[in-house]
Amino acid sequence: MPKKITLKEAAEMIPNWSMVFIGGFAHVRACMAFSRELIRQEKHDLHFISSGPTLHVDLLAAGKVIKRMEVGYSGIETIGPGPNVRRRIEERFLKVEDYTNFTMAMRLYGGALGVPFMPVKSILGSDIEVKSSFKDIRQKLSVVECPFTGEIVCLVPSVNPDFGVIQVQRCDEEGNVQIDDVTTTDVDGLKASDVKIVLAEEIVPTARIRRDPARTCVPGLMVDYIVECPWGAWPTAMFNFYDYDQEHIEFYADLCKTEEGWEKYKEEWVMPSEEEIMKKLGARGMEKLKAKKGLGY
Amino acid sequence: MGRKYTNLELMAICGARLIWDDAVVLAGTGMPVLCAMLAQKTRAPNAKIVYEGGNIDTRNKDLPLSVSDPRLMHEAAAALDMRSALGELLQGGYIDIGFLGGAQVDKYGNINSTAIGRYNRPKVRLVGSGGANDIASLANHTFIITKHEARKLHSCDYLTSPGHLHGGDSRAKAGLLGEGPKYIITDLCIFDFHPKSKKARIMSLHPGVRKKDVLKNMSWRPIVPRKIAETKKPTDRELKILRTQVDPKGLYLG
Repeated sequence: MPKKITLKEAAEMIPNWSMVFIGGFAHVRACMAFSRELIRQEKHDLHFISSGPTLHVDLLAAGKVIKRMEVGYSGIETIGPGPNVRRRIEERFLKVEDYTNFTMAMRLYGGALGVPFMPVKSILGSDIEVKSSFKDIRQKLSVVECPFTGEIVCLVPSVNPDFGVIQVQRCDEEGNVQIDDVTTTDVDGLKASDVKIVLAEEIVPTARIRRDPARTCVPGLMVDYIVECPWGAWPTAMFNFYDYDQEHIEFYADLCKTEEGWEKYKEEWVMPSEEEIMKKLGARGMEKLKAKKGLGY
Repeated sequence: MGRKYTNLELMAICGARLIWDDAVVLAGTGMPVLCAMLAQKTRAPNAKIVYEGGNIDTRNKDLPLSVSDPRLMHEAAAALDMRSALGELLQGGYIDIGFLGGAQVDKYGNINSTAIGRYNRPKVRLVGSGGANDIASLANHTFIITKHEARKLHSCDYLTSPGHLHGGDSRAKAGLLGEGPKYIITDLCIFDFHPKSKKARIMSLHPGVRKKDVLKNMSWRPIVPRKIAETKKPTDRELKILRTQVDPKGLYLG
């Protein structure tokens, strides 16, 4: 049985300098509350692994929680590059090793399968193949001829982060995880990680999960810790619970164009407790975002 | 006829028209999503759209702001994961058209979305590949859409996503799948690629646009045929559907 802990305890477990997979892709199910908690606890020098993180990676870069990252993407979709990731890279605080979304997904899947690498057919011929940042290029990838067919393939190293953290719709006390929308790379990322932490909007009776086992994407026997964490993805979306808060995302992206703006945002929207942050969002703000029946957003 | 339209609307309509019926399209963030949705509602009702987060064959009624958006769950055929979308569907050969934007696009349709300036000391750090390198490497065809500006139609400071690489047969030799870029769609013209050299070539000029407007606003020289067709004006129907059904709130075009 996994152990039920609090958001604070979950973040306390992560030592500085460790390698973390923190879930969330584009506008869905980003571990925002968990990322805010890492900043409140002044974590630093984390090595961040993900495919296409958006808002949470920008927050973690802003708070100087992460020093290195291996990702396919980091930006805020239609808004463009995340202002804080961009500033931290340009001021040479944050180092990024560029892969692609697919190859990061495969590196995590390889990690989950317990094999050392995965072959892919993208990356070939691009600068991603020949340029590296903090890794030796020979450790980043290897282009070889297939021993069976002779075709050219790119081998990408599997990755096993020390900690994997994802934010989902629900789990039960036994840690069985159900996700109602696309799982992006969250399931592979969690399964690849040594210590697996699941943050759920709600913890439900196991009977409910077991009535619909086909929806379970991570069996509880693989999970180490569970946390009840409602509104934990805000201001990104949790399908069937709440929509993304585009107004707040735009407010954030705009304010964070300067370091002073980020400091202001941090004081107002990161440093207070999660309860206080939700109070600031207010009953009306939350009502507006709540998922409509039949749409899920 | 004769209704007024913006350059962005024209560009979106041009992108949509090139999508053939029955095509399976993998759309990147921004304009490609708009083009794919417009195509589905006009000339290509049987086109299917796939998103890299795992939403497959979508029928969303609201415009998504990202390639993984709860709006894409509405009446989708399947909600899978990234490994299925980019691995099994894309690398597995099911994607006819990969539709991409980019910060710099060179004469062979190679794309930079990673960094302006030196890679390890960038002047401007951009978003990185996302799924773009995978899409450009693995889709059967690639469409590229970008505003027509000298800083965008420019050699790539960093080659994020492969087009025809150095031209000729260099793409196939690198081990990449698919035929590479088919069109570059801008707000002034559409380029296709010379079948042998794989260099970009002006295919049609948008209404009222002259050759010299095109050449003045770009940093490399395309092939310029003697006779160039004029792009057809947007029809009232195209504009109406774009404005009332695809982007009624002006999220992309506003």
